[in-house]
Amino acid sequence: MIDVKTTLKEGSSAKLDLENMTPEQKALEIRNLDLYYGDKQALHNVSMNIPKNQVTAFIGPSGCGKSTLLRCLNRMNDLVDICRIEGEILLHGQNIYDRNVDVAALRSNVGMVFQRPNPFPKTIYENVVYGLRLKGVNDRRELDEAVERSLRGAALWDEVKDRLHDNAFGLSGGQQQRLVIARAIAISPEVLLLDEPTSALDPISTLTIEELINDLKEQFTVVIVTHNMQQAARVSDQTAFMYMGELIEYADTNTLFTTPAKKKTEDYITGRYG
Amino acid sequence: METMNTTKHISGQFDTELENIRNQVLTMGGLVEKQLRDALKAIEENDIDLAKEVRKKDKQVNQLDLDIDQKCIQIIAKRQPAASDLRLMVAINKSTADLERIGDTAKKIAKVAMEGEYDKKQLQLIASLDSMGRHVSDMLNEVLDAFARMDVDAALKVHKEDKKVDREYEGILREMVTYMMEDSRAIPKVLEVMWAVRSLERIGDRCQNIAEYIVYCVKGKDIRHAPSAEIDDLLK
Repeated sequence: MIDVKTTLKEGSSAKLDLENMTPEQKALEIRNLDLYYGDKQALHNVSMNIPKNQVTAFIGPSGCGKSTLLRCLNRMNDLVDICRIEGEILLHGQNIYDRNVDVAALRSNVGMVFQRPNPFPKTIYENVVYGLRLKGVNDRRELDEAVERSLRGAALWDEVKDRLHDNAFGLSGGQQQRLVIARAIAISPEVLLLDEPTSALDPISTLTIEELINDLKEQFTVVIVTHNMQQAARVSDQTAFMYMGELIEYADTNTLFTTPAKKKTEDYITGRYG
Repeated sequence: METMNTTKHISGQFDTELENIRNQVLTMGGLVEKQLRDALKAIEENDIDLAKEVRKKDKQVNQLDLDIDQKCIQIIAKRQPAASDLRLMVAINKSTADLERIGDTAKKIAKVAMEGEYDKKQLQLIASLDSMGRHVSDMLNEVLDAFARMDVDAALKVHKEDKKVDREYEGILREMVTYMMEDSRAIPKVLEVMWAVRSLERIGDRCQNIAEYIVYCVKGKDIRHAPSAEIDDLLK
C-alpha cells in the first residue's frame, strides 16, 4: 500500500534574517572557521548560522570545501590526521571542538548519511536498531517501536515491513539509502547531515529522497551537500554557495536562484565560466 | 548584479540559443515598429493600400509571437535557466506579449485609416494624432534599442517618457470633446480618431512595461506598480 498524500506542503515562505537569528532559531552556528589539511588551507574564515528545522544546502564546484565544511559539523575531520581546525562551531551555545566534548555523543546528535548507501551486512531490523543497541537499549518492544517509527520516518516502512529480517543488501540502492536515513534517525538526532545523498541513485529514487527530506525537516535540521544545483533549489530553504574554500554567498534559496548578489554565484548557477 | 552577465556559458549551444531568441525578439520589435509607423502614415496620407498591407502583415507578428514563446518554453524545459538567464526568459516572454498587442493596435489603426476621407477640420485632429503617434513610435524604438543593449538607463528614460504621452493624450481628448460639441454630425468620425488616440496612449503604457522587464532582467528588481518617486530608491 502506498500512502497517498493529500496535503501539499511548500517550503516556508517567511524569510529568515540569516545574519541576526535568535538563539532559539539556530541549530548550529559556525564562527570564523579555518581548516587546514597540512599546509593547505581548505576553508577560509567561514561564518554562518544554520537555522533549526529547515533544510540548508551547500553548493559549489568540486574541491570548494562544501563536504569538508559538512564534515566539520560532526567532527568527521577528526579522523584525518593532518587536519587542523581554527574557529568555533556552536551547538546549543557550546563549541563542539571543546576538549571536554564527547565526540560519540555529538555524532549521535548530529547524524550523517553518505553518498553511497552503506548499510551493515545485517538484517534490515538490525541495521535500524544498531545505534540503539550501542546505547545499551535491548528492550524488545522499545526496539520494535523504534524500527517502525524510523522506517516510517524514512518513507520505507510499507516497502519492507514484511521482510524486516531479510538482509539489507537485498534492497535497491534507493531503498538502502532510505534505510541508512532510518538508521540515522533511529537515535533521534537533532541535525542530519546529508553528503550528496542521491548522487548514486536513479531519478525516481532521487525524487523519493527529496520528498523525504522535505518531511524530515519537521523533526530535524537538515544540512545537505549536493552537486545537483536543481536539487538544492528544490529541497532547501537556504543555500550557501562556496568557492575555493570561501563562503561566497548565503541566502534564502528563492533569492539565490533568481537574483544572486554576487557575480561568482551567478556564474556558477547559470553554468558560466568563472 | 549591476550589469547584464555577458560571460559565456560552459555550453556554447546554450549561448547560441539565447542569442537566437534575443535576435528574434528584436526582429519582432522591428516589425511591430514598422507596422505602427506604416499605420500612422496610412492615416496621414490616406493611403488605403498601405493600410491593407499593415493588416496583412499582422499575421507575421503573430507568428513570431508563437515562435518565440515556443523557443522560451523549450529553453526552460531543456536548460533549466537560473538567475539572469531565467529573468531573461521571463522578460522575453512578457515583452513579446506586449509587442504582439502593439501589433494588434497598429492593425486597428490601419482599419481607421481605411474608413476613408476626413474634412479639413478633422484633418487637424489627424495632425495631433500623428504627432502623438510619432512620440510613441520613438518610444518603442528607444525601448527596443534599450532591450538590444540591456541598457537600464535607457529603459528608465523610456519609462519616464510615458508621463508625457499621458499628458498629450489628455490634451487631444479635450480638443476632441470641444470639437464634438461644436459639430455633432462629426461625432462618429471623431470617435474613430479618438479610439486610435486611445490605443496610442496604450502603446506608451506597453513600452513602459517593456522598460520594466528590462530593468527586472538586468537588475533583478521588480519596479512594476512602484510609484515613480520610489523607483530610484528601489534600484539603489
